[in-house]
Amino acid sequence: MATMLNTLNTDDFQNHFVVIHPLDDVPEQKVDTTSLGAIPMTRTVRISLMSLRAYLVLMMLLVFYRVVTLAGWFGHHG
Amino acid sequence: MSNRTIGVPAPGVKTEIVPVRGRVVKSKWTRDLLTFLMVVGPGLIVMVADNDAGAVSTYSQAGAQYGTHLLWVLLLLLPVTYFIQEMVVRLGIATGKGHAAMIYQRFGKWWGLFSLIDLQLVNFLTLVTEFAAINLALSKMGVDPRIGVPLAAAGLLLLVLTGSYRRWERAVVFLCLLDLAWFAVAFWLRPPVGELVSRSLIPNMPAGGLTASLMFLVIAIVGTTIAPWQLFFQQSCIADKRLRFADVKWAQLDTFVGACITITAAGCMMIAGNASRLHGFTFTDPARMAADIGSFAGGFFRNAILLLMINAAVLGTTTISLSSAWAYGEVRGWPHSLQLPVRKAPGFYLVYLSCVALAAGLTLIPGAPLQLIILGVQVLAGVILPSAIIFLQLLLNDKELLGEYANKPWNNYVNWTIIIVLFALSLILAAQVAAPNLFPAG
Repeated sequence: MATMLNTLNTDDFQNHFVVIHPLDDVPEQKVDTTSLGAIPMTRTVRISLMSLRAYLVLMMLLVFYRVVTLAGWFGHHG
Repeated sequence: MSNRTIGVPAPGVKTEIVPVRGRVVKSKWTRDLLTFLMVVGPGLIVMVADNDAGAVSTYSQAGAQYGTHLLWVLLLLLPVTYFIQEMVVRLGIATGKGHAAMIYQRFGKWWGLFSLIDLQLVNFLTLVTEFAAINLALSKMGVDPRIGVPLAAAGLLLLVLTGSYRRWERAVVFLCLLDLAWFAVAFWLRPPVGELVSRSLIPNMPAGGLTASLMFLVIAIVGTTIAPWQLFFQQSCIADKRLRFADVKWAQLDTFVGACITITAAGCMMIAGNASRLHGFTFTDPARMAADIGSFAGGFFRNAILLLMINAAVLGTTTISLSSAWAYGEVRGWPHSLQLPVRKAPGFYLVYLSCVALAAGLTLIPGAPLQLIILGVQVLAGVILPSAIIFLQLLLNDKELLGEYANKPWNNYVNWTIIIVLFALSLILAAQVAAPNLFPAG
C-alpha cells in the first residue's frame, strides 16, 4: 500500500525518509462498508436503540407539554 | 528537506508505477514532525471551532456569575471531549466516509433520515446565532451590520470556493491560531495564580452552593463543549482529507492538541467574565462584557474581545455549514469534497451557500425571534447529541466494520459512562427549557 514510506533503498535516498501528504498519496483501500449491510442486532445494539427511542419519545412529550402550556390549553401560560 | 517525485506501486497492481509527490527528510524526528504537520487540521479545527459564539457567551457568563469556581468543570471535560472525538478519528480513517453515511448504511434509512434532518435543523439554528453574534459585535464596533454581516457571509463563501481542501484548511487553521489571543487577554485580566490552580484542580462550589441556576449553567457548559455537529464534521473532514491508517496516531494527537487549546481558551473566557464581575459589572452578553472590560482595561481589550467573538462566530459558521453540506452530500450520493470545483460538486456547495446565506439573512430581519431560536438550539441539540453519540459508540464496537480499530474494553467503560451522563444532562436541560415550571427557582 502506497502510504508513508520509511526508507527507499536507492542510491539517491539511502537513509532518507519520504513523507507524503495524504492528498498527494495514492488513495488507500478502506473498509468496504456498502457490502456489509445493516449492523448485526446484538443485545447491546437492540437495548441501545430501544433506549434511544424511549429517550426521544420523552423529549417529544416534553416539547409537546411546553407548546400546550404556552398555548394556554391548561389554563395558564408557562 | 526537498521535494521529490517518486514512483510507488499502486495498491493491487504489481507493475504499475504511480508518481506521487513527497518530501525527503533525513531524520526520523523530522519525518514525524512533518507528518504531524501534514495531518494536523481536522482535530484542531473541530475543537477550536467548538468555541463558537454560543460558547463565548456561555463561558463568559459562567465567569461573570460564578468567577473562577467552574474552571474544574472544564478540566473534567477535556478527556471527555477528546475520547468522543478520538472515536470519530478511528471511524473516519477506517471507513473513509462521513458519520451521516455510516448511520444510513449500518442503521437503516429511518435512523439515517432522523439524524440528517435533526443535524440540518440544529445546525441551521446555530448558524443564525453565529450571525447574530457577528451582528452584535459589529454594532459595538460601530460597523453597520447591514454591511458587515453580508461581508462576513461573502468571506465565508470565498473560503470554500477555492476548489482546494488545503487552501481552506490553511485559512481556517490560521483563524484557529488567532484564538490563542484569548490567552493574552486572560493573562492581562488574570486573578492570582494560586486561585487559578486550585479552582482548576479542586472541585469547588461558589457561595450559595448548588442551585438550579448553577446546575443548568454547568449543563449548558457541557452541552457547549460537546456539540453534535462535531461528530459529523470531523469524520467528513478526515474523509475529505483522505487520512490513512498510518495517520491514526497523528490524527489522535491533532485532536488532543485541539482539545487542550479549546479547553484552555474556554478557561480564558471564564477569566475574562470573572474580571468584569470583580469590577462590579453584571453580565448581559459578551459584546456588552467587552465594553465593560474596555472601561477598566482599555479600548484595546474591548476591541480584542469583540474581534475574537467575530472570529469564533466565523469559525463556527464555516465548520457547521460544512458539516451540513458534507452530511447532505454523503446521504444523497452527490460529489461532496472541498477538492472539487463548484461545477463538479454543485449540490454540495449549494447546501453550504444556502446555510450561510439564509442564516445571515435571517439575522438582518428586524424583530427576528433570536431568543426562540437560541432555545430551539438547546432543545434540538439535546435530541441529536445523545443519538449521535449512541450511533458512534455502536459503530466503534462493530468489529465487522473496524477490525483492529474497534474499541477496547477500557474504551467502552469510559464511553458508556460518558454517554449515560450526557443522556441524563441532555434530558434535564431539555426539560428545563421545555417545562421550566417543573423546576424550582434557584
